[in-house]
Amino acid sequence: MKMAWKEMKKYKMRYTILGSIIFLISLLTLSISGLANGLSQDNAALIKNMPEGTFYMEESAEENYSFSSLEEEQVNNLNEAHENASLFSIQMGEFSDSGDQKHSLAYVTASDAEYFPDVEPGEIVLDSSFEEDFSTGDTVTSELLGESFTITGFAEQEKFSHSPVGFINNDDFFTMYNTETFQLAFAPEDGKTVDGLAGFSNGDFLNTIPSYSAEQLSLNMIIIFLYVISGMLFAIFFYMINVQKLGTFGILKAIGVKTFTLFKMMWAQMFIITIISLLLAAGISQLFNMFAPSGMPFHLTLDMVLLSSGAFIIIGFIGATLSGIQIKKVEPMQAINQGGA
Amino acid sequence: MSLFQLEDIQKEFKHGNTKEQILKGIDLELKKGELTALVGASGSGKSTLLTIAAGLQDLSGGSITFGGKNLSAMNQEGMREVRAKHFGFVFQHAHLVPFLTVKEQLELMLDTAETKWSKKARAERIEDALTTVDMWGHKDSYPENLSGGEKQRVAIARAVIHEPEILFADEPTASLDSKRSVEVMELIERLARELNITVLMVTHDNDMLEYAERIVEMKDGKIIES
Repeated sequence: MKMAWKEMKKYKMRYTILGSIIFLISLLTLSISGLANGLSQDNAALIKNMPEGTFYMEESAEENYSFSSLEEEQVNNLNEAHENASLFSIQMGEFSDSGDQKHSLAYVTASDAEYFPDVEPGEIVLDSSFEEDFSTGDTVTSELLGESFTITGFAEQEKFSHSPVGFINNDDFFTMYNTETFQLAFAPEDGKTVDGLAGFSNGDFLNTIPSYSAEQLSLNMIIIFLYVISGMLFAIFFYMINVQKLGTFGILKAIGVKTFTLFKMMWAQMFIITIISLLLAAGISQLFNMFAPSGMPFHLTLDMVLLSSGAFIIIGFIGATLSGIQIKKVEPMQAINQGGA
Repeated sequence: MSLFQLEDIQKEFKHGNTKEQILKGIDLELKKGELTALVGASGSGKSTLLTIAAGLQDLSGGSITFGGKNLSAMNQEGMREVRAKHFGFVFQHAHLVPFLTVKEQLELMLDTAETKWSKKARAERIEDALTTVDMWGHKDSYPENLSGGEKQRVAIARAVIHEPEILFADEPTASLDSKRSVEVMELIERLARELNITVLMVTHDNDMLEYAERIVEMKDGKIIES
């Protein structure tokens, strides 16, 4: 550790360059992770806010919730399998404010108030993103209903398919969309087979939301590539540094320094660089998380930062260790015959 | 009293299908505190013999005994430990660690030899060693700021700081001018005498032989005069 630090102090520029690159890659990774999670929240916070359990939709809907309609018999079957299943529906729509300006949203209704706000007929609870333009007690008009809703409250971070959610009573919902059935059901338990219904875990259900998996897959692919690049960067950088130091390593081995001590020196350097870079990147990304423009879907949790940091440290360790194979191979005689300082 | 014995040392190198016998059955004993010079023409095998004796190269046949232990039967870790604790090395080039100061080079050697001295004793030992080689004034200098002779003096201090029993010196004056060569050689001889260290030294320089108590001449992989 002492030797590792001394070398880094002596060759500040060399290690600052590596640290800067790792800092930039980790900042980029954390930023894209924040964006991926932000988009995921923007796309499906409504579902992600629900506890772990099983979602059901009509089997014939072929994993497209908007085609699903739970018939009475299917609901009875569901109630036999789960005592506490809740029914709910989601439809995209819009409302007009007092100035006739239209606002799009996802209308959500449920059979009970277990997971969503309790709303009476003629009332609406909006996502908090509407709070800038509306207040409790304001009225908004739905053309589909032909009547006004009174805003009775705001719900924190309730989005679906990149639209803010409006919770309404199921009587209003059924009138607006000319239906008498719910589309979906949720039971906070492990899935059970129900005739005519397809069951999904929370994660699987998220992937049935149009665009969700495509969006997340693309961003996660970028994140994975960034991890791979950072691993390769560590391997290449330490390989190049180790090649320059083979003579020194050979002499150190000749005078009796353990090969493991040389590996520990390299690992210590890798940890110092990675931890400083990650602290900076995590700090800046958390600042960005706090001050990001409200329209930007950026959401970076401490768990994600810790998970990414852990991944970077493990990948850096693997990259550096692979490059360190040269240290194991170097023979003292090579160094002695080379000459040098 | 014999400290170190080489018996029937053989070394063979393979070049493709051909084999070259570099050492052809060398027998040599080193006595405690004796300075032995290995001389001979280029290619006679003297440097190969020194590096084999020091455990830096494998031998093809024969045995090496040090303090009653058979070094040739030891594994790599065992040999490394012997090198770290009981041997000292001075090479043609100083081979200092470029990112350590003069003082730190010696600290590293003490750590490597796993000496049990107290912090105070270590500091005193380092000061003594650097003062002996007249480098205490440069204790915070890096190798890049030292001349060839200064580097070699630091290398000698590094080689003896842990009080090894044998010092292996492979042409320690070859990269120095004649004035510096004499200084370095006088230093090796003085330290070996003061610390009772056995020295095996390879040299091409006949002027350095006056410091040796024993001269071993090699030719074509064999000792021809001892």
